[in-house]
Amino acid sequence: MAAGDAGNGDEGERDALASALQGLRRELRGRLEAAESAVTDRFGEPDLFEIFERLRRAAGTFGMEERSAEVDEFGLDPISTARARRLLEWLCSSWWRVDVAGIEDVPRDEPVLFVANHSGLLPYDGLMIAHVVERETGRRPRFLVADWLVTLPFAQPWLARVGGVRACRENAHRLLARGHSVIAFPEGSKGAAKVFADRYRLQRFGRGGVIRVAIEAGVPIVPVSVVGAEEAHPILFKLHTAARSVGLPFLPVTPTFPWLGPLGLLPLPSKWRLRFGAPVATDALGADAAADEVLVSRMTEELRGTIQSMLDADRRSREGVFSG
Amino acid sequence: MRTPRSIAITGLRSFVGKRLLRRVREAEPDAQLVGLDLQRPYGLDPAVRFHAVDLAEPTADGRLAELLRKEGVEALLHAAFRSQPRADLEADHELETIGSLHVLHACAAAGVRRLVLASSTMLYGPRPDNPNFLSEDHPLRGHPDAHNVRNRVEVEELVATWSRRHPDVEVTVLRPCWIMGPSYEDAITRYFARPLVPTLLGYDPLLQFVHEEDCLRAFEIALLEGRPGVYNVVGRGVLPLTTLLRTAGKRPLPIPAPLLYRLGAYPAEVQSGDPPAGFYDYLRYLWVADGERGFAAFGEPEYTTLEAWMSFVSSRRMRRYR
Repeated sequence: MAAGDAGNGDEGERDALASALQGLRRELRGRLEAAESAVTDRFGEPDLFEIFERLRRAAGTFGMEERSAEVDEFGLDPISTARARRLLEWLCSSWWRVDVAGIEDVPRDEPVLFVANHSGLLPYDGLMIAHVVERETGRRPRFLVADWLVTLPFAQPWLARVGGVRACRENAHRLLARGHSVIAFPEGSKGAAKVFADRYRLQRFGRGGVIRVAIEAGVPIVPVSVVGAEEAHPILFKLHTAARSVGLPFLPVTPTFPWLGPLGLLPLPSKWRLRFGAPVATDALGADAAADEVLVSRMTEELRGTIQSMLDADRRSREGVFSG
Repeated sequence: MRTPRSIAITGLRSFVGKRLLRRVREAEPDAQLVGLDLQRPYGLDPAVRFHAVDLAEPTADGRLAELLRKEGVEALLHAAFRSQPRADLEADHELETIGSLHVLHACAAAGVRRLVLASSTMLYGPRPDNPNFLSEDHPLRGHPDAHNVRNRVEVEELVATWSRRHPDVEVTVLRPCWIMGPSYEDAITRYFARPLVPTLLGYDPLLQFVHEEDCLRAFEIALLEGRPGVYNVVGRGVLPLTTLLRTAGKRPLPIPAPLLYRLGAYPAEVQSGDPPAGFYDYLRYLWVADGERGFAAFGEPEYTTLEAWMSFVSSRRMRRYR
């Protein structure tokens, strides 16, 4: 039968094809095994699940390994703060070589309102005062930060984790009431944004809010003068129109910024001096004194005078802006 | 005022309305319950006297006053609000703002003795110049894009004026923050339930949650015992968004703000159940509320922010294996 013959012919061909395939398969397997053993000899047994799991974890926790699972009510994160401490210590002792004076007089067992002069765009002065106070007294004060910085991308999460809090009355009240010391810069952005020609000239102290907060909370005020921070970011002049287009209050022009790009944001290694003045007690005045406008403005002016004279004395006595 | 004998709830199909009905039945089996909504909810307790009312109708106040008087209602919980926006903004405004106005008129006409309003801390609005903790006295600045929030700010203003004109009525305004728990669901929980969560690049705001049981307990106390005043209903503690996501094993997907706002605008326009308009500002700026007044009035909450979040996360995790 024709069909049967064709079938026999097919069978012969199929056998030949099958044995050829068998040979090819054996050959391939042999080579693959050799290649695979070469890989496993070098890298160990590859486990796809293991690799996938590692990638997944790396993607999910990117930049998050150094965070605590819980933060305090103002967002301070103990692990981030501990990590930042190393950098701050280096900035404090090696970069700016901060001299500290008068820290012995700072009350240790009650909350304190530190009032300091403000300079530089970025809150280096707040970070340094907080760091020095924590190092010397063991208690970390919170520093108040201007609005525009609190909402600046990338700055906002980091500042909150190391103890920066938006500067407003409600926050200062709450912090002091919970027993935290607070660092305030009553000059506000007028102080931070002043040009180099006006350095160490204290601006108006807001509307006396800082004194009122201290009186209402009954905490002592410690005047602090920061010398050296003005030279870390000397602002030659300010651009307003260009800044508005990127949502900043103004764009500073310093000897390094914007010429060096982001590198220009690094502060210059000026020599710093932090001086803590004698505490001014407010608890004897009573909370009603906060409503006495004349008293508040007199105390504000006195405090401003104290800090200005501390600044002047330290500026006269320093050897050079970068030396010492 | 003693425990009310007859209690009315508007918005029976809302989470607060539905769950409070059950809680009140258990706590006060003798009290008469009056339920009001557009349609009768499925599986409604037969002991509840249900009335289908459209609050947005022009004459709804008269009809409602008639009903409340007939049933002898002494306390009313107003919870007829959208849990998520709908495409028809006008209809939402009619229901939420005008509907509330009708409820207020009816309460005055029928001599209701106690009024509880379901509000939200979202009404404070996410603003860069908010203090870290918003007290109940802080102005309600809302959000210009979120029309439900805008409507409810109007409602709070109406209630505040009404309350001044009716000093003999006990008015309680409860402002819960974002509610988390095993059964609560809205656009916010749907956002957080995703495995990959879009966030704003460079922002990590502090958030707070309240557990659904703590929230309902505050409503129950306000309705049955009476606590006139305005209260934030929140859990203790705050947590940054990225920490929340990490504890839940979710992955944040940071997107630059201008891009995310543009991307987020499309689903918000068709109201597909994705985060509503203006939602991402609530993940950008602070709007944490101070809960101390509420803790004093309604007792210490059983769940902290972290515990409420974990309760939500673990219930959603189990849901996958059902």
